[in-house]
This record gives sequence, C-alpha cells and structure tokens, in this order.
Amino acid sequence: MELINSNNSFFLNPEDIYTVSRLNFEIKRNLENNFFNIFLEGEVSNFYCHNNKHFYFDLKDEYSKIKVVMFYDANKNLNFEIKDGLHLILSGYVSVYEKRGEYQFVANFAQPAGIGSLLLAFEQLKAKLKDKGYFDDVFKKPIPVLPKKIGAVTSTGGAVIKDIISVMSKRFDNFHLIVRNVNVQGPSSSEEICQAIDDLCEYGVDVIIIARGGGSLEDLWAFNTEAVAEKVFKCNIPVISAVGHETDFTICDFVADIRAATPSVAASIVVPDKNELTSKILLLFEKIKKSVADKIIHYKKDLNYLVNRRVFKNPMVLLTSRWQDYDLTVKRLIENINDLIGFKKSNLTQLVKLLSIGKIKNNIRFKQTVVINLSGKLKILINIRINELKNKIKTILQNIHANSPISVLEKGFSLVMDNSQKVIIKSLKQVEIGDEIKVFLHDGILLSRILDIIKNKLKF
Amino acid sequence: MNMEIEIEKLSFEQAMNMLENIVKDLEDEKISLEESIKKFEIGVKLSSFCLEKLNEAEKKIEELTRTDNGKLITKDLNISE
Repeated sequence: MELINSNNSFFLNPEDIYTVSRLNFEIKRNLENNFFNIFLEGEVSNFYCHNNKHFYFDLKDEYSKIKVVMFYDANKNLNFEIKDGLHLILSGYVSVYEKRGEYQFVANFAQPAGIGSLLLAFEQLKAKLKDKGYFDDVFKKPIPVLPKKIGAVTSTGGAVIKDIISVMSKRFDNFHLIVRNVNVQGPSSSEEICQAIDDLCEYGVDVIIIARGGGSLEDLWAFNTEAVAEKVFKCNIPVISAVGHETDFTICDFVADIRAATPSVAASIVVPDKNELTSKILLLFEKIKKSVADKIIHYKKDLNYLVNRRVFKNPMVLLTSRWQDYDLTVKRLIENINDLIGFKKSNLTQLVKLLSIGKIKNNIRFKQTVVINLSGKLKILINIRINELKNKIKTILQNIHANSPISVLEKGFSLVMDNSQKVIIKSLKQVEIGDEIKVFLHDGILLSRILDIIKNKLKF
Repeated sequence: MNMEIEIEKLSFEQAMNMLENIVKDLEDEKISLEESIKKFEIGVKLSSFCLEKLNEAEKKIEELTRTDNGKLITKDLNISE
C-alpha cells in the first residue's frame, strides 16, 4: 500500500489510526491474556513499601529485570518479610500500567525459593527480636523457688497437661496449678495464647508455664509469632517455655525467662522436690543446734577452768597480799613526809640569814653612792649634747637665710607680681599696658603701672 | 519481737537464705555466746517458718476461664490420669 503521496502526507481511513490509549489498552489485553497465571523466579531489588501498604520492587536475574507490584490484599498474608536480595518465586500475571505505558508483573503470591517460607519467617523474626535485645540475659527474670500459684498456658485436652500434673504430684503433694486452656495450633492459637498470658497475669500467679507437645514447624507456628514473643517479653511474671520436643526451638523459647526441653522438665523446674527441701531445712536446723551446743560446751570448759583458779578457791590469798601492799605504802608515805619537812627547815634558816639588818644597811649605802656618781655623769653628757644641738641649729638658720628670696632681694633683685599678689610675672605676655603691678624690694613694695612694653632679650 | 514480725513477711527464698547465713554465722568461732543464742532463736523460727511454708498450700488444680460478662473465674480441673 502506498502510504505517502508526493506531498509527503498520509492517506488513511481515520479508524486505522491508533490512539496511544488504544495501543496501550491492546498491549495490555494481549499481555494479560498471554501471561495469565504464571510463575516467575528472581531476586528482589529496589523494594519499596508504599504508605498504602502496596509493595513495589524489581525482580531480576543475571541479564534482565522487571517491575513487580504486590498489592496489600496479596501481601498481607505473607508470614515473612520481603527484602532486597531475597530469592523469590512469585505467581501472578503481566499487566500494563496504561497511564505510563509501563508493563509490570502483578504478584498474587510469593514464596522464598529453595527454603520454606515458614523457616524463612522464623529466621527473620529471630534475627529481628535478637537485634531488639529480646533474648538478652539481662531481661531474664528468676523463677521463684516455691511458687504459691503456678499458671499454665496449654491445651487441657492433650497429654501435655497430664505430664505436667504427674511430675508436679510426684515432687510436691500440695501444689496449686491454674490452667488456662488454649488451642495450641490453628489460626486463632497465637491470639489465644496472648489472651491466656494476660488472663493469668490479671488473676495473679507467681510463674507461667507455656507448654505444647512436639510437632512440625507449621504445628508449632503460634509459638513463633511476633505477637506471642512480644507478650512473653513484656510479661512481668517469669515465663517458662516448654514447646515441642527437646530438638524443637521456638521464638517463644528464646524470649522466655527459661526454656525447658519438655513440659515435664518445665514442671520439675517450677515445682521443687518437697522431700529434698524438707531435709535441707532440717539439716540447717541441726547445724544451728550443733554449733550453739558446741559453743555452750566450750564456754562451760572455760568457766570450769576459771572456777578452779586459786583466787576463787581461797579468796584470803588475795587479801593477804593486799595487806602487805598497804603496809608498804604507809611506810613509804611516812618516810616521804619526814624528808619533805627536813628540806623545808634548811631552806627557812638560809632565808633568815639573808634578811639580817646589817647587811641590808650596807647594801643601801652602796646603792646611794652609785646613784650620785651616775647623776653627775648624766649632767655632763646632757650639756655636751645641748651644745652640739645649738651649733647644728645655728648652721641651719644661716643656710636658710642664704637661700631665702629676701636675701636675693637684698642683693638688688626685685620680684614682680600682679595686683592680686597671686601670680609672679615672668614674661611680657602676662601683662598689658596700663596694668597695675606690684614690685617687691627687700625693704618694701612699689605699686606701679605699666607704661610701655618693650620686647627685648636681656643681655648683660 | 521485731524479728518475729519480719519473719512472717519473708518469702520462702528469703527465709532460706537467712537460715543459711545464720548457719554460716554460727559456725564462726568469734561470735559471742549472747549473739549466738540470739541467732539460734531466729534460726529455730526460720526453720519452722520454712517447713510451714512447704505445707501451707492446699493441692489445687484449677482451670481459669472467663464468664460471658468477662469476669475471670476458676473451677476444678478434672483430668483422667
């Protein structure tokens, strides 16, 4: 068909022209029909969860990639988290987002490639809670030695509760167990377990056992949910987790304060062996009795030893030696007093000698001549000193006169001051013609008036 | 007298710990006779208190449920053994 004429324009029936919308629509219909309900495998990248909870990501292999959308309706049932790098198998169909002319894969379902989705979910939650510190030892509460009320979260229908009761009965004949019945598997199980923990906390128990028999990962799933993990972690009462057989581990086991390998083990951890405890208490009691008895025997021996000492048997012995001490002391006292009296006597006679009158008179006479001598010397010294001072004053007065301004005036100089006698006139600049000034001579003052000012440096 | 009141308030573990400590104290030779008699009296009280605690509870196996109006109640649980 010739499409282009000589004028370079189309000759077409309008119906043959596609609009963009129509083309995209037809592509969409084609793709959706040809790629309806297929499985697609690849690695996740650029994962993004929109506010409205729809997932957007790319799925890629070595050479190629495709945009994927997984709407909330489809992704809300996933038990694991989709992350970049995860290898997935998706089921769904190819569609076109006509608004932008982009084709994409719409996933209805996703599962991890190579590993079960439950196992992946388990590993993911375990890693997440471990990061949050939920398994840390610092949060582990101690289990009371003798709990008054024991709570149990389990099914009242199974063998587990029978095992627990049987073990407890053997160890302690009067225990108090409060069981909260739950479905230990099935869709409502997780929620029921959480509610049961709340109920037992509200009722008030000293410890809680969460127990279930063995089973597949799927059977035990309720004990691997984040909700149960949160509930156990936040529970203020110590929790023992005994889920499954010895080889089964659940998230609940990791979060609980203690993990018991089986429900029977949990029962024996919680309930002490009464006979063992009783004999322990009796043993301690015996020890107390024995050590006090030993002590009393020991003190009795000491007492006997003391009672048998000579002083207690013959107290007069003590008295005779004291009498001797007394006698000796009195003797010493008398000797000391006599010595003291003798000493004081000789002291007294010496003093009397010193005080004899003749000696005192002589003494006074001697002191008088000394005084006379000294006063004569003192007079001479004072006169010398006065003359020295007189001469010094004379010299000072002569000095003062030679330097005084009056003596300068006597030599023929005069002093010029202003009329108020406050300022000494030293320069022509201080006066004007007609000013009155005072000229001071050594014998009086000249009141003068300036007739003229002749500027000239004085030369002699 | 004070001691008596306090013992009644102890938990089983606390009483056991105290009892064990008293045994240790009494085994120390330096303790005076007066002190050891005092401790002995407390020890006797603690051991009888612990023995009482062991026998205090009554054996009960109950099931906890909620009534229709949401109240928590317990009833005896009968399980054929």
